[in-house]
This record gives sequence, C-alpha cells and structure tokens, in this order.
Amino acid sequence: MTRDIALGQYFPGKSVIHRLDPRLKLILTVAFIVYIFVVHNFWGLGFLILCTAAMLLTSGVPVRLYFKSIKGILFIVLFTAVLNLFYGSGEPLWQWGFLTITQQGIFNAIFIAVRIAGLVLFSSVLTFTTSPTDLTDAMERLLKPLSKLHVKVHEIAMMMTIALRFVPTLLEETDKIMAAQKARGADMESGGLMQRIKALVPVLIPLFVSSFRRAYDLAMAMECRCYHGGEGRTKMKVLHLTRLDAGAALAGIAALVVVILCNVFFARVF
Amino acid sequence: MTPLLETKNVTCVYSPHTPFEKRAVDSVSIKIEKGDFIGVIGHTGSGKSTLIQMLNGLIRPTSGQVLLNGRDIWENPKKIRAVRFKVGMVFQYPEDQLFEETVLKDIMFGPRNMGLPDEEIERRARDAAHFVGLPDELLERSPFELSGGEKRRAAIAGVIAMDPDVLILDEPAAGLDPAGRDVLLSSITSYHRTRGNTVLFVSHSMEDVARVADRVLVMNDAHVEMFGTTKEVFSQAGRLSQIGLQVPQITQIMSILKDEGYPVETTLTLEEAVAQLLPLLPKGGDDL
Ligand SMILES: Nc1ncnc2c1ncn2[C@@H]1O[C@H](COP(=O)(O)OP(=O)(O)OP(=O)(O)O)[C@@H](O)[C@H]1O
Ligand SMILES: [Mg+2]
Repeated sequence: MTRDIALGQYFPGKSVIHRLDPRLKLILTVAFIVYIFVVHNFWGLGFLILCTAAMLLTSGVPVRLYFKSIKGILFIVLFTAVLNLFYGSGEPLWQWGFLTITQQGIFNAIFIAVRIAGLVLFSSVLTFTTSPTDLTDAMERLLKPLSKLHVKVHEIAMMMTIALRFVPTLLEETDKIMAAQKARGADMESGGLMQRIKALVPVLIPLFVSSFRRAYDLAMAMECRCYHGGEGRTKMKVLHLTRLDAGAALAGIAALVVVILCNVFFARVF
Repeated sequence: MTPLLETKNVTCVYSPHTPFEKRAVDSVSIKIEKGDFIGVIGHTGSGKSTLIQMLNGLIRPTSGQVLLNGRDIWENPKKIRAVRFKVGMVFQYPEDQLFEETVLKDIMFGPRNMGLPDEEIERRARDAAHFVGLPDELLERSPFELSGGEKRRAAIAGVIAMDPDVLILDEPAAGLDPAGRDVLLSSITSYHRTRGNTVLFVSHSMEDVARVADRVLVMNDAHVEMFGTTKEVFSQAGRLSQIGLQVPQITQIMSILKDEGYPVETTLTLEEAVAQLLPLLPKGGDDL
C-alpha cells in the first residue's frame, strides 16, 4: 500500500521531456510557473494553457496520473476560487445579502484556479519525468555558485539524496513491520484517536531501531570508501547540454516573448 | 470433508495499471488439510511470500478466494482479525518486529490482542517461550539485548502464543548458524507433533524441507509447479532442476548410486541413506 506512494512520482519513460537535462527542466519549470503568475489577460492565459496541454501530452505519462495530482488539490483550488469570486470590485452582476458577484470577481476566480492548477501540473511534469536523484543532482549543480558564500551545497544535496534514497526503504520497512504486527492481531484501522496513536507504538519502535542501525551502517560504509565531502569530488554522470536541450531552451524563451507580447498588447483583466 | 484451508484461483497483482505491474501469484488453487506439515519451495521471486500472506488476510487477493473451514475469509472484512488469530504468520527476519520492554511482554502482545484474561495470556506466553527453548531468565530481559538466534525464537514464540490452527513461517531459519537451525527446526517439529497443528514453512534449504515436511508445495513464476508428498516431489530431480531448484544432496548421491545399479531407493535424509548403504559395505559395515 505505502509502496504506491513511493513509486507514485517518477514515471520512467523515453519521451523528449524525459531526455532533457534535469538542470534545464528545473529552470524551465520555474520559468513557466513565473509566466503563469505574471500573465494578466485571457490571451496570455489561453496560450499558457495550450503550452501546458502540449507538455502533458509529450511527456508520455498517462493523463490519468495528472488528473490524480490535480484531484489532490481540487479542494484548495475550488475553495480559493469561490472566495475570490466574492472579492471583485465594480458593477454587481448578482447580489444576495452581503454576497456580491462582479465580473471582476469571476475573472479573479478563473485566474486563481488556473494558476494553482498550472503550478501543480508544471511541477508534476518535472517530478514525473525526472528521477529524484537526477533532480537533487541538478539542484546541486545549479546552486554551486552559492558554495562561494560558504553554503555547503554538496553536503545539503548529499543529505537530500540520502533522504530520498531511503524513503522507499523506510516505507517498505513500515509495510513489513505493520504486516508483522497485524499478523499478531494489532488493530490499526479502528478505534478513537488515542487508540490509533497507541496502536502505532509497536510499529514506530522497531522502525526507529532499524533506522538507526541503517544510518550507522551507511555512515560506516561511506567512511570505508573514504568519503570526505564535496572538495575535489568528480561526478560519474557528467551532464552535457544537447541540441534537444537547446531546442527546449529556445521554446522556453519563445514562450516568454509571447507572454510579454500578450501583456503589452492586450488590456489587463486581472 | 472441507479442507482446513483452501485457495480457489487466487491471484495477486502488485501495482496494477503502472509500468511496475507484477503478477506475483497467478490463479493458484491448493488444499491444506488439518495436521499437514507443508514445505514451500521455489526460486526467489516465485511468489511464495505473497501466497502465504494471502492465506491469513494480510494481502487481499486481486481475484479468487481463500477459504478457511469452507468460508471465504474476506466475507466480512471487519472480521479479518479473527482469521489472523487462526492462521498465525511468522515473517522473514521476525526479530525486526520486537518492541516491548521485556521479552515476555513482547510474546504476550498477540494473546493480549485476542482479548484473553491476564492469567491465560501469561500462561500461553510462558508455554510458547518454553516451546521454542527460551530459558526463563531471558524472559525479563529487553528483547534488544538478546542474540540474533534468541530474538528469532522470541519472535516465533510471539506467534505460537496465539495458538493458531495453522502456523505459517517464512524462511524461519534464514541467517542462523547450523546449530541454531537444528534447534529451531526441532522445536517447530515438536510443536507440530504435540499440538497436532497445521504448519506451513517456506525454505530455501532442500535439506530442511526433506527432513521435516510431509508434503511439499513447489512454486514457479507465480504458479504451483508441483504439490505432493516429499518423496514424490524430490524424486523428480529433473523437473526441479529445470526451474532452478535442487533436490537434497544426499538424494542426488543416492539416485546416482541407483543409476549405477546399486540396490537402493530414493532417500531424503542422511539417516535413511546410512541405513540403506551400511548393509552394502563388506562385513555389513561392522567396523564403522
Ligand atoms: N509489495 C510489493 N509490491 C510490488 N511487487 C512486489 C511486492 N512484493 C513482492 N513483489 C514482487 O512479487 C514477486 C513475488 O514476490 P514474493 O515476495 O512473493 O517472492 P518469494 O517467492 O517470497 O521470493 P523470496 O524467496 O526471495 O522471498 C517478486 O517479483 C517481487 O518483486
Ligand atoms: Mg519471500
């Protein structure tokens, strides 16, 4: 059961998006999130929706999975959209008690909903098509300049990689221990809050014990291989930008130009 | 007569509709009678652990039924805990599940969940500890202070204390030294003999299976390859080696001798082999 969560994000494949350099993907994702938050009229918004659709389709990940990630935040989207609906100024179109809906309110609601959905979809494209290790690797390289400021970029990235590496292991371990305690009649599915918390003790204690043992083993193994941090360390997988990456970067810049043009030539509605 | 435990076309698919989809058990139908002592063998990933976890309702089959005393165990999902008390399950490396302050308290965890009276719980726990050969002075210690083999025995006692009708053990002897293995196997056999309960145990050691099991279930690629008495199964060395399994070494030796024309039968254990071979030696092996 918990294993599904662990594998839930990365979806292996060979699509164009899968093959892009993770650094570029990270930058483009941030860029598109910025675009969708600066665009202020329907032309620009429509253009970005088209871009999103194109990305989802080329990623080769079943659209069903994207719906699933949207479904997770559907409540937040609807809630903020409905709130914004009543926060418009101008001519009321509809009034009931203190609730008024204006054209501005409707526009607000649409923009907010699309922006949140866009944010989630762009980040989903990134996490679905990039393995967690590639992602932290990309982050480490992009943040490299910060090490001049004595930020321990390599150590932070290594900690993230190790943490990510052990998420599936811990989930698997949790599954195993839970199954073993259930086999001894532990009841984790019923009872009040206190009872449920108490029922977790037989799972948490063995989990802590084994995590500490694992951490100790890992530290020992790293030490035995003379690991000593970032100084002078080379990478096994050297990232090279390819033509494909150049094309993607151009597409990102072109999208920026379209967004700016839309904002310049069409009137602000939000 | 309805068998104690029966599966009808049980199938288990992990992570369905994803690239990780895996058919771990495919349409398996077996019958297990009361008092059976069954060894389960099969190469790594053949679906043994998955199958046995379906037998006590830890995994719900994707399709098919598991019948306990003729009744579908998933008939009422709320009552599944009652099934787990009847079909006890000891996982691989069960020592990872210990959590209480003392060994005795940990063994009492199962019976306590059954809602038994306090004296009964303690009596059962002490009985179970005795069965697996844990000395009394260890019972008041913390489980984390025990040696690996002792932890293993404590964990097995935790399941035996529930007095299940069927006891399932997933590779109970994995990672133990030869002496620890022997102690463990003989305590399981004596448990089986004295209580008359049904036992299923998964093992990668053909020697162990040949020594203690009455019947053997052979799994291969999510299917049941063979299910018969230990002699029947291990006399088919060719078929077993095709699916990456071997017969016990002593069985191999004896079948080679048989092919060479010596008057010997298929044997499973060292003791039987010795009994057959000694008379063939000059002087009947008197000087041995
Ligand atoms: N929780 C799970 N999620 C996805 N796949 C799984 C899961 N558990 C097992 N599998 C897969 O199902 C198949 C059967 O696994 P199972 O654990 O039943 O094998 P096994 O016969 O017990 O092997 P072993 O002898 O190594 O213990 C394997 O290919 C395994 O990778
Ligand atoms: Mg297994």
